[in-house]
Amino acid sequence: MQDVRQETQDVFREVFDDSELILSETMTAEDVPGWDSLTHINLVVAVEKHFRIKFATAEISRMKQKGQNVGTLLALIQKKIQRTG
Amino acid sequence: MASVSNLTDSLAKYLSSPADERSAALRTLLGEVRQAIAAGRADDAAGVLQRAVLPSSDYTAFQSLHRVYGMLRAHLRPAQTTRLAVLGGFTTTQLAQAIELAMFAMGAGVEMFEAEYGVYRQEIFDPASELYRFGPKTIFLATSWRDLIRRPGLDCSREDVERCVEAELSDWLALWRTAHERLGCQILQNNFDRPDWRQLDNHELRHPASLSRYINRLNEEMADRAPPYVVIHDVDALAATSGRRAWGDPRFFFHAKMPCAPEYLIDYAFSVASLVAAPLGLAKKCLVLDLDNTCWGGVIGDDGMGGIRLGQGDAEGEAFQAFQRYAKALKERGVLLAVCSKNEEPIAKEVFEKHPEMVLRLDDISCFMANWTDKAANLREIARQLNIGVNSLVFVDDNPAERALVRQLAPEVAVPEIPEDPAAFIQAIEPFRYFQLTSLGQEDLRRAEYYRANLERQQALSGSENVEDYLKSLRMVARVEPIGEVSLERSVQLINKSNQFNVTTRRRTAAEVLAIVADPCWATWTVSLRDRFGDNGLISVILARIDGDALVVDTWLMSCRVLKRGVETLVCNHLCEFAARRGLKRVRGEYIPTPKNDLVKELFPSLGFAKVLEEGDGHAWWELAITPDWAPRPVTIEEQ
Repeated sequence: MQDVRQETQDVFREVFDDSELILSETMTAEDVPGWDSLTHINLVVAVEKHFRIKFATAEISRMKQKGQNVGTLLALIQKKIQRTG
Repeated sequence: MASVSNLTDSLAKYLSSPADERSAALRTLLGEVRQAIAAGRADDAAGVLQRAVLPSSDYTAFQSLHRVYGMLRAHLRPAQTTRLAVLGGFTTTQLAQAIELAMFAMGAGVEMFEAEYGVYRQEIFDPASELYRFGPKTIFLATSWRDLIRRPGLDCSREDVERCVEAELSDWLALWRTAHERLGCQILQNNFDRPDWRQLDNHELRHPASLSRYINRLNEEMADRAPPYVVIHDVDALAATSGRRAWGDPRFFFHAKMPCAPEYLIDYAFSVASLVAAPLGLAKKCLVLDLDNTCWGGVIGDDGMGGIRLGQGDAEGEAFQAFQRYAKALKERGVLLAVCSKNEEPIAKEVFEKHPEMVLRLDDISCFMANWTDKAANLREIARQLNIGVNSLVFVDDNPAERALVRQLAPEVAVPEIPEDPAAFIQAIEPFRYFQLTSLGQEDLRRAEYYRANLERQQALSGSENVEDYLKSLRMVARVEPIGEVSLERSVQLINKSNQFNVTTRRRTAAEVLAIVADPCWATWTVSLRDRFGDNGLISVILARIDGDALVVDTWLMSCRVLKRGVETLVCNHLCEFAARRGLKRVRGEYIPTPKNDLVKELFPSLGFAKVLEEGDGHAWWELAITPDWAPRPVTIEEQ
């Protein structure tokens, strides 16, 4: 899990062009400057590419919705990596 | 602080990095580019960034590249800029950014206007729309199969389908015509991509009303009937080349109305950008090939004719042969081929003359440089001999050290990164669309022949007593006529790519030239020239406008292959004759200096024009009075 968080943080830093961004489980889309519907697509593409996974259409929508946070995203990534790995 | 060598080292590392180290290498490179920008070294930064923008970049890399490009934009002074309106049937935000970046990689600046998605008809039909305030040179109609207005039902007869094609086409024709009439702009129109599912599966091929058949018919008709001011962009080929299933990832359409999977937007953008850049004269003209391990396997100087790997019997040898076939195919459509190799010339040439598996022969090569001089110097010499710009060259060499040297010492030359495996050369070069074209004329098909005939002429010149005798011995025949339907494409091509013999270097689209031809205040001339060594084709274009009592030469350009043969004088005679016939009092010429047109700085005075005004930057106006006793100057060219 530590690796996934670290690597996801790198992806976030790249996508949001913020080399000091620190990812925490409780963060939501509102906490990250620049995380709008456009950059959301960029984030999805970058995460998919990095972890060689694929999100379902509904999962892509859910990530940004209320009640979701970085923790749920990390868990989703973790689940998908295990399935493919 | 990042020095130039840090920048170039990081660039070399990035270009040669394997896929899994790519993003780290890019991060390092972009960090250094940012430092260079911060240190006020925008030119170094731009040069490196330009080479880092690759059609093979992934989507995330492109976002990062575009961000850094945004920091640089204000400092850039591209030689060419254009105004592009992107009107999309889908979301074009990311595509437009990628087009901007790809244009930067090709050497052009672009001012963009982007409409909201799905309102392209309103933008064009409403004369009060933002589009008209922006005033583009080119409109890109970014549509997809989802923008089809009509689709035939499965019960439609063949005739019904044809009627449907006609109706669909006439809607698009009306859209193009409206935009063109109001703006005089070029239009770049996507054709229709076929989706990745098929209602009738394999039977789509045979049923006349299937969606695939319908789209095929429509694409064909569009390509055949697009007016000269419309270029059809083959999006269906983009989807097919990448693979429709991967290309059309619909998740991103459902989420963000993106036309294809984000990864493919970069390729898409290079394709669009190349079609916008080519009419600006930015398409490459010459493919320069290294020999050892590029055109054949092994080193001819060490391995000898029997030892190099080429052709049947060896898989890698077949791959080298296939690459030669690719180069030959480019030559057949008008791309010049040249050789730049570290070799003894006779040994290298012997392969072209005697090796039975060679596809390329000596007469395919317009300039052959095999010596031990550094390749950057040789490339400059090739450009000089062929009379083309150094920035018109694409250099293919298997040796990473040679590539790095050329990138550093001849930064204008395009140097694609190629893998070691010759079977992958073509795929490494193709996505750059270096040699993009929007039309293909007789001149293109016969270009190599022109260059060969020129070589023979040069030999004839060296055997002549004096220039006068030589010109007479050429037995030149010229055809001088206004721009017409047949000569439009070639005229526009010359207007947009001639750099050296070009007094004002005003670029114009087909649409703009058409408007000039139709305007009674303007006159146009084209000159086609042949002689005993062959046909030079259409080699000169002149556009002039009547202003009061003067005939003002707005554009005068000529292909450098017919320099100093008397065509200049012939043209001047025609201008004067026209002015006299119209009762005009003078012919006025203008010279706008550019880094490339020093050649024609003295053109007007050499023809008897007197200077009337010169600005500090060398921009000058010249006049020739048309007196009642005016008579044409003698030329050794007969007129047809």
